[in-house]
Amino acid sequence: MPLDRDTLWYKDAVIYQVHVRTFHDSNGDGIGDFRGLQSKLDYLQQLGITAIWLMPFFPSPLRDDGYDIADYHSVHSSYGSLEDFENFLGAAHDRGIRVIIELVANHTSDQHPWFQESRSSTDNPRRDWYVWSDTDTLYKETRIIFLDTEKSNWAWDPVSKAFYWHRFFSHQPDLNYDNPAVREQMWQVMNFWLQMGVDGFRLDAVPYLVEREGTNCENLPETHQVLKDLRRRLDENFPGRMLLAEANQWPADLRPYFGNEDEFHMAFHFPLMPRMFMGLKLEDRKPITEILQQTPEIPPSCQWSLFLRNHDELTLEMVTDMERDYMYDSYAASKTMRLNLGIRRRLAPLLSNDRRRIELMNGMLMSLPGTPIIYYGDEIGMGDNINLGDRNGVRTPMQWNGETNAGFSTAPSERLYAPLIQDPVYGFPAVNVLRQKTAEHSLFNWMQRIIAVRKSSAIFGRGSIEFLYPANHRILAYVRKLGNDAILIVNNLSSTAQAVELDLKRYKGNILIEMFGKNMFPRVGDLPYLLTMGPYQFFWFRLRRV
Amino acid sequence: MSEESFLTDDFLRQLMNVGEVDIVVGLPTHNNAKTVGPIIQTIQSGILRGFPRERTAIINADGGSRDGTTDLVRGGSIGDVGAKSKVNALRTLHSISTDYSNSSDDSNGAAFRTILAAADLLRAKACVMMSPESANIEPEWVSKLLRPVLDDGYDLVTPTYRRHKFEGLLVTNLLYPMTRALYGVKIREVFSSEFGFSSGFGSKFLEQNVWDDRTYTGGAELRFTLAAITGKYRVYQTFLGDKMHVERRGAELVPALRQTVGALFSSLGPDFPAWSVADFASAPTNGSDHQVLLDPLRVNRKRLRAMFSTGILELESVFQSILSPETVAELRRIADMGENNFRLPAELWVKTVYEFAISYQKSAINRDHIIQALAPIFRGRVYTFLTENRDSSADEVEKNIEALCLEFERMKPYLLQMWKSIE
Amino acid sequence: MRALIIGELSTAFHEMVRGFAHFLPSLIVMLIIAVAGWLIAIIVKVILRSILRLIKFDKLSQNAGTSQLLAKAALPPATEVLSRFVFWVTWLGFVLLGIYLLGIFGLQDQIARVFVFLPRLFVAMFIMFFGLLAASFFARAALLAAVNANVPSPGVLSTAVRVIIIIFTTSMVFEELGLAEQTMVVAFGIAFGALMLGLAIAFGIGGRDLARHFLEKRFVHGKREDNNDELSPL
Repeated sequence: MPLDRDTLWYKDAVIYQVHVRTFHDSNGDGIGDFRGLQSKLDYLQQLGITAIWLMPFFPSPLRDDGYDIADYHSVHSSYGSLEDFENFLGAAHDRGIRVIIELVANHTSDQHPWFQESRSSTDNPRRDWYVWSDTDTLYKETRIIFLDTEKSNWAWDPVSKAFYWHRFFSHQPDLNYDNPAVREQMWQVMNFWLQMGVDGFRLDAVPYLVEREGTNCENLPETHQVLKDLRRRLDENFPGRMLLAEANQWPADLRPYFGNEDEFHMAFHFPLMPRMFMGLKLEDRKPITEILQQTPEIPPSCQWSLFLRNHDELTLEMVTDMERDYMYDSYAASKTMRLNLGIRRRLAPLLSNDRRRIELMNGMLMSLPGTPIIYYGDEIGMGDNINLGDRNGVRTPMQWNGETNAGFSTAPSERLYAPLIQDPVYGFPAVNVLRQKTAEHSLFNWMQRIIAVRKSSAIFGRGSIEFLYPANHRILAYVRKLGNDAILIVNNLSSTAQAVELDLKRYKGNILIEMFGKNMFPRVGDLPYLLTMGPYQFFWFRLRRV
Repeated sequence: MSEESFLTDDFLRQLMNVGEVDIVVGLPTHNNAKTVGPIIQTIQSGILRGFPRERTAIINADGGSRDGTTDLVRGGSIGDVGAKSKVNALRTLHSISTDYSNSSDDSNGAAFRTILAAADLLRAKACVMMSPESANIEPEWVSKLLRPVLDDGYDLVTPTYRRHKFEGLLVTNLLYPMTRALYGVKIREVFSSEFGFSSGFGSKFLEQNVWDDRTYTGGAELRFTLAAITGKYRVYQTFLGDKMHVERRGAELVPALRQTVGALFSSLGPDFPAWSVADFASAPTNGSDHQVLLDPLRVNRKRLRAMFSTGILELESVFQSILSPETVAELRRIADMGENNFRLPAELWVKTVYEFAISYQKSAINRDHIIQALAPIFRGRVYTFLTENRDSSADEVEKNIEALCLEFERMKPYLLQMWKSIE
Repeated sequence: MRALIIGELSTAFHEMVRGFAHFLPSLIVMLIIAVAGWLIAIIVKVILRSILRLIKFDKLSQNAGTSQLLAKAALPPATEVLSRFVFWVTWLGFVLLGIYLLGIFGLQDQIARVFVFLPRLFVAMFIMFFGLLAASFFARAALLAAVNANVPSPGVLSTAVRVIIIIFTTSMVFEELGLAEQTMVVAFGIAFGALMLGLAIAFGIGGRDLARHFLEKRFVHGKREDNNDELSPL
């Protein structure tokens, strides 16, 4: 199954996010590797996903899970060789699966040779590859992101006796994008991987590339210029490849990252995700519709990227204080579940392992406008381990079967990069791929089905959205449209059965065809269309004129 | 259930859309377009401040307004439609409205009943009634009236106000002392247009009350307070602040008497087992149980006195059917007194009220006529109160009211004795 | 001659005896009817009295003002009066029925007329009673409304209402009894006109505040203090 030639492939994609370390260990060292990942491509193909987003796999001291890169042109020895990666890439492409990799452009590890050179002396040619200062008083208006660990965005370097700028951990100095050499070097990095065949980059922490005094150093025009340059060179040399922006910002602030179809192809819609959880808890669609109302139109070739959970905490930066308190009380009663401004938990535990809620949330993920991203393990409802520090609790090994080490590795258990989930509810004996594949009503089989249904229509990825506002605020209903085709989606956010009257006058005469069972529902007439919905139930209806 | 028949289909559909809630705010209106907008906003900010996470609905029962009151109420919903509201609200806050004026019963009680039924259907944990006329409603009132219900399990929360010493004289000269003397519970505002209550009590009241009889639906608010006392529900008083009406409405004495004294008198019959043996208790109170403003107030006292005297003179035949001959004679004697020494003393006032209550119970003449006949005598009492307290300080006024309460208590055996003779 | 006289006498005597013999059964029947009627009348009276007591008729009549009237005439309470009246009417009815059966010429016609008249008499009494009741009620309502609205001379107004309703009632009673019909049509016209006037006045009182409010709003602002002087009772 070769890759399709459509340059807008990312609009129809279903992306699977995985860290190579966590998926499968082929050599028994307790750490997942590319050969292991390659061996599980059939599984991913079965699931139905069309793209893999790989988290950083580059050589790194691994103090921030690989986001502290020490060499951009190689593979971390634990995960295999560059050749292993190439093989994996080829195997994925053979299965019609595209591969998106990380480009951590904002900063490097302090172990990176560039930084070592830069700090070595003030007159080193690489000195101004990083942001140095004699004082720590510059850029005072810039917020600190990792509130729990960092006190300042400046760190003192005892070697060169100066402060260096870092937006994240102090071991991750920010590159200086005012320096043309840095910009050129970053394009060379991209070029390296694009030549090899990767289909896209997820650019980490893009709002922070450039610093200017008197600003909050986020979303600056200079930063956009850097990004536009990279996009131009990408389009010139590798058409059909994709850039995905990670920028945890309000939708209106995100809009510039799409530019005039000359910056990013895709960007994460961060504020939507916590509001989906909030809407579910409140049993009220208001948070969801409100954030989508505030979401600006984006150019036709651009796309939002949606997710329920990822490798980071469920971020609550883009909510009000009142909403954050509510989210904490609802989803992270225990303080240990909280990290920075967020909740470090996986999907299933967040939703109390309630299958109906998990299905509803996935149903919304797959039907709201954007490209869905599934975090590895969430397709089988894996749990987390809040006793592991930082965000490691949601980065435990994939659970393949109920045998030793969950089938992840043949290494002795104590040598695994992280302990397996052991608890009775989410532990690998209870939750694993093998078991779910054989059980007809498993979450895995259900995920497989919903992905298939989503892929059956281009409307989901490319259609417009129009909200219906039924008076019953527990019902989130919208119509997705593309050309003459339309799909009606109705979600019951409530834990109880609900009746809802939908105003479908515009679609009068259409019959409704439920997309999972392909059964007909009554024709739309003049009266409001009455639906009764079970707890957390959702319907996808194709509107058909006959 | 009877409420199914008196709630319209449209209203039921609105209720269905609101769904289960934690709090219901009841708002009875009738041509209140001038004030209802700001009041809805105040209620909403009270809810958003005090109960941001609770599911809440504002339910408006309207008596057939023609000035667009209901549109204002409906337009006040906080939701996602049109995204016009920039209010920082966690949830949808429905504001719905129904018109009860087409139903067979269009009294004030019907509004209260509609709201009770809605709260019952929505399974609200607590409910608060708000007046559409309060000129100075504060967002905190919502919390003050609801917190004791939600947090401490009280069933009825009545307000106390800071008001002028000469405002609310029907309350201080009759309703408060008489209910206190008879029912034995000290509730300052037995009849108020703002109060909070628990769903348990509300539903019970809805279910037990006789709603079909018009004489019963009038003054439902006072009956509600009495039901809380006789049903041994937990009552709490909370201080709200100034009580101000949008406009002073002195001329409406008779309707006020009907709503309050009528309701009180008509409750005495069914409540006899409770009040005949009541012990004295005092409802727990948060904040001051009364506060008094003393600034001068212009009152046409001459007119009051004139209306009293004319009333006594002209209504003598009516009084003869209501009062004992001695009381009639005594009233006549007072009516003939000169302006300087005119005074309707507490004892005679209490006796008169009790005899009225008895005649009401006996239906000596048409009950509404009995209530109307009380108006001139009440004016005489008001005149006396104004005269006696013209220069009084807050404490002295309170002392006088306390004395009147004791008079009502002292005379209770007289009422009981008469009551037993008619049974 | 003598024999003739005796013959005539004996014939007359025979006639008389025969006539009497012919009359006697009727008389006995009449007496039986009278006695039975008396018994029935007593039973009716007892039943009626208990019914009236049950529905508290005395209070009703007190409201209508009839009790006061009776008291002034030193008569027993209304219940007693009504039940005695019914007793006598019932018994008299039976007696008249008996007399009717005697077949006395001329008397029969009169008795039949009495029987025809009887129901109308009852209806007329009924109308009178409720008319008085209504008169009393509305007179008091008007009085109270007038006093509370501070209208001058409420007594006159009240009396006017009472008189109008009584005139109206009386006209209906006469109409029912079929007496002086022509006069009554005229009287009714007058009474109806008066009633309308009364209603106009009543509406005037009811709408007084509204009208004043309206006029004040339109023309005057100075007179408003009058209303503001009263205190809010609640």
